[in-house]
Amino acid sequence: MTPEVLVFDILAVIAIIAGIGVVVSRNPVHSAVALVVTFVNLAGIFVMLRAEFLAAVQIIVYTGAILVLVLFVIMLVDMDDLPEFHGGAPLQRLSAIVIGLILLGEVAAAVVTRTVVGQPGPWNEETIAAAGGNVQVLGQFLYSGYVLPIQAVAIVLLVGTIGALVMARPDEITTRTRGRTTGTISLGHSRGADLVALPSGAPTARVIHREDMRDGLVMVTSADAYTEQAAWAGTDVPSEPGAAEYPTGAGIGSEENR
Amino acid sequence: MGELTATHFLLLSAALFITGMMGVLTRRNVLVIFMSVELMVNAVNVSFVGFAWEQNSMIGQTFALFVIGIAAAEAVLGLGIVMALSRRADTVDVAEVTELRD
Amino acid sequence: MKDLLFLIPLLPLLAAVINSLFGRWLLRDLAGPIATVSVIGSWVVSLLVFIDQLGSDQPLTQHLYTWIPAGDFQIPVTLHVDHLTAVMLMVVTTVGSLVHIYSNGYLAGDTGFYRFFTYLPLFIFSMLILVLANNYLLLFFAWEGVGLCSYLLIGYYFKRTSATKAANKAFIVNRIGDVGFGIGIMLIFVKTGSMVFSEVFAQIPSVAGSTVTLIGILLFIGATGKSAQLPLFVWLPDAMEGPTPVSALIHAATMVTAGIYMIARSFPIYIATDDARLIISIVGVATAFMAGTIAVTQFDIKRVIAYSTVSQLGFMAFALGVGAWIPAIFHLVTHAFFKGLLFLGSGSVIHGMHEEQDMRRMGGLKKYMPITYWTFLIAAAANAGLIPLAGFWSKDEIIVGAWIDHSYIIMVVGLIAAFFTSLYMFRVVFLTFHGKERFDPNVIHPHESPRLMTIPLILLAIPAAVIGFIGFPPEDGWIHRFLSPNFTLDGAHEAAIASLNAVEGAAEHHVSLATTLTLGGISTLIALAGLWITYMAYIKKSPAFDPNMWAARFGGLYTFVSRKWMFDELYENLIVHPLYLFSVFLWRIVDAGIIDGAVNGVAGVVGFTSGRLRRVQTGFVANYALAIALGAVVIVGAYFVFASNLFS
Repeated sequence: MTPEVLVFDILAVIAIIAGIGVVVSRNPVHSAVALVVTFVNLAGIFVMLRAEFLAAVQIIVYTGAILVLVLFVIMLVDMDDLPEFHGGAPLQRLSAIVIGLILLGEVAAAVVTRTVVGQPGPWNEETIAAAGGNVQVLGQFLYSGYVLPIQAVAIVLLVGTIGALVMARPDEITTRTRGRTTGTISLGHSRGADLVALPSGAPTARVIHREDMRDGLVMVTSADAYTEQAAWAGTDVPSEPGAAEYPTGAGIGSEENR
Repeated sequence: MGELTATHFLLLSAALFITGMMGVLTRRNVLVIFMSVELMVNAVNVSFVGFAWEQNSMIGQTFALFVIGIAAAEAVLGLGIVMALSRRADTVDVAEVTELRD
Repeated sequence: MKDLLFLIPLLPLLAAVINSLFGRWLLRDLAGPIATVSVIGSWVVSLLVFIDQLGSDQPLTQHLYTWIPAGDFQIPVTLHVDHLTAVMLMVVTTVGSLVHIYSNGYLAGDTGFYRFFTYLPLFIFSMLILVLANNYLLLFFAWEGVGLCSYLLIGYYFKRTSATKAANKAFIVNRIGDVGFGIGIMLIFVKTGSMVFSEVFAQIPSVAGSTVTLIGILLFIGATGKSAQLPLFVWLPDAMEGPTPVSALIHAATMVTAGIYMIARSFPIYIATDDARLIISIVGVATAFMAGTIAVTQFDIKRVIAYSTVSQLGFMAFALGVGAWIPAIFHLVTHAFFKGLLFLGSGSVIHGMHEEQDMRRMGGLKKYMPITYWTFLIAAAANAGLIPLAGFWSKDEIIVGAWIDHSYIIMVVGLIAAFFTSLYMFRVVFLTFHGKERFDPNVIHPHESPRLMTIPLILLAIPAAVIGFIGFPPEDGWIHRFLSPNFTLDGAHEAAIASLNAVEGAAEHHVSLATTLTLGGISTLIALAGLWITYMAYIKKSPAFDPNMWAARFGGLYTFVSRKWMFDELYENLIVHPLYLFSVFLWRIVDAGIIDGAVNGVAGVVGFTSGRLRRVQTGFVANYALAIALGAVVIVGAYFVFASNLFS
């Protein structure tokens, strides 16, 4: 048991336990914190593997940027206590665990019985030290043979930035092109507003105009009226209740309604 | 045990990968799924660097570097999608978003 | 002359084609004259051919083209005229022309006028090909052609269900006979290597006797269907659903005689087999007797004449069977004229009585339709065999032929059938034209038919009366000498046949004058007896001869006979109904159940499977990811098992 093995064992065990914690935590913030622990431990392992630059990049980029982004999103998104821990889809979980264990066994078998082909490369400790350390060697390596992939990654990052900007635009722009043009409140559905007793003789569908909706609000009294053609025909009717007829005119999908 | 060989790193990588995979398959919160994916990516990174160390080669580290860069871009876009999804469907539960259903 | 032969069938065919293409909108009422003129043209050319044949013993042959050139199997389309054909040509074209003229009047104003004159010349064309053919296959083609035209014409009033059923019945029953005919033709080809008449007949002596008998029987089965012999006659009475000119032409003069012609043409085959001829004579005389008895009990005027046709065809078949070849053809000729005249006359009666056909509602028409009456009377007397009219000469020779052949029982049965012939014929005359009117003359105004209809009647009455004299003196008349080349065997042939113990040919048909006179006297007495009985029953209304009393006396027998000897019921229960049940079974169980069930079952299985498989698409992304993971496990596992050295 050399010291390296011991260090490795400690780092690895903590990383795995933190990884399991990511998957198992109820609170997503707990998952994020566990992921941070994993990343830091992995950075330590990278240092053991003589990849110091990579370790630094791992901490700066992954933990410092990506995980922070994730935490921001967790904050911005309104999430309830999801029912996933209240016993849903046991078959899915069970089969996932079984598949995972089988795959783990297979990969472990492959790893343990592997044979190495080909010749090892030239970059052992002495040559790296002779060339000036890990960063110098990596820099030389990258910029001599891998310039094109670097440019490609740069473009990908640029595209990502632009995409983020596009997706973050406010809602009015998107709804202007393809949003809903009418809002509906169905009084026939139990999930809607509280049931209102309408006077008899009231029409089963009415259109009420509001400024923020282009074609107004259609009120229906039953699920069937919700689907009738007449309920969707959109011409002006007065917004007073009891003001009689069915709306007539063009149906949904016609030029007027677009 | 005994000497530190690449086998150790590979087994670690496999364990982390499987853990991440089970998170993807099992959890319903899309952000936790995203974090599990990051876990899987990191496991692969460990595997790359382990091979590079064993074979005295720089290619593994180079690749891992690129992986980190691409993962960053992917994180940005993925989280943007998550935000758009949450605005649209008002939820982050993937079980609620079943529009692909027959 | 022989190069003009093709005109004989061509002219009616052209008329049929023109009328079918242009008749409906363009020609309309012109279709009738076009068809009539074409058939008269055929008649003219046939007359020229006949005159040529009168003076020469050489047959005329015109080869048109080869229909089937297939190595050993060569079927030419060759028109061949010898004496027998010449006689048939005259019969067909004469009666055909007169019927065409008559039809112009009978069907005037009918909406399907052009259609009638498409089918009628087409029929004439087929019949002419039939008599002009020089090989069995071409004859069979024309045989089917006349059957087809018969179907089309019987079902002319296709809006009547009874007419369409009758047309179907005619065609189907004909086809049953054609099965036998077809097999017979194939057997001929197998045994003699050809279908051309001359080649076949030359080969016959070398074919085994039992095979020749079989061929003879098979060919006769075809004739049974077409010429309405005993088991397959049921279509002929129902064929009266067609217009009367159709009955006159097809079911009196031409199509039904095709079978008789075919057997006469196959003389060398039949001369070589006693057994086939015995069967033919028995079937023929049985048919004659049976149809005669039925005719006495029928009340529809056309039906009586139809059964009379069946009976006379039975006579012709029985003549062929006993070896009286020339009398058979002679009777065919005379029958064509007087039977055609009977049909046309009945058509005139029906037309004049405004479509009334039941004789019980006629009577006393003599004074309203004199021309019809007198021509009808001549034809009826000819049919009954009153001397010196046509029917006597031919029918008497048949009886003499039976005597010569020593078939005495058959001869006696034939005489009984002749008695019934006279009985029903004069019954028709007296019921229809004599006595008091059994209808109200103020409601139905019977009138004589237009000239277009009565002139053919008169023109037909002349041969019906006098054509018997072509066979005078008996056994040695003009027709005997004219047709004898067809029915004699040349020397080598005869020697070969004689070694098979066959009967003598027609040339050795000698009998003493005394016998002839005696048998002639007996026939005349029988005919007069029939006349006297009907006279007493219907004119004098003598109580001893009251038909209703006799009908009651015979009770069950009368019912049996008047129901056509229950043949229709027999066929219905024995054949038609089981076939119907079988086809319903095939429909319900095999087609709808098994076949449709299999197809629907496949669709059902597909539907069921896809219904189950669609549950894979849960819409839940984690399930899809699980599937991917599962796939990864399987692939890695497969790799391990097959491509790595882990388990090797």
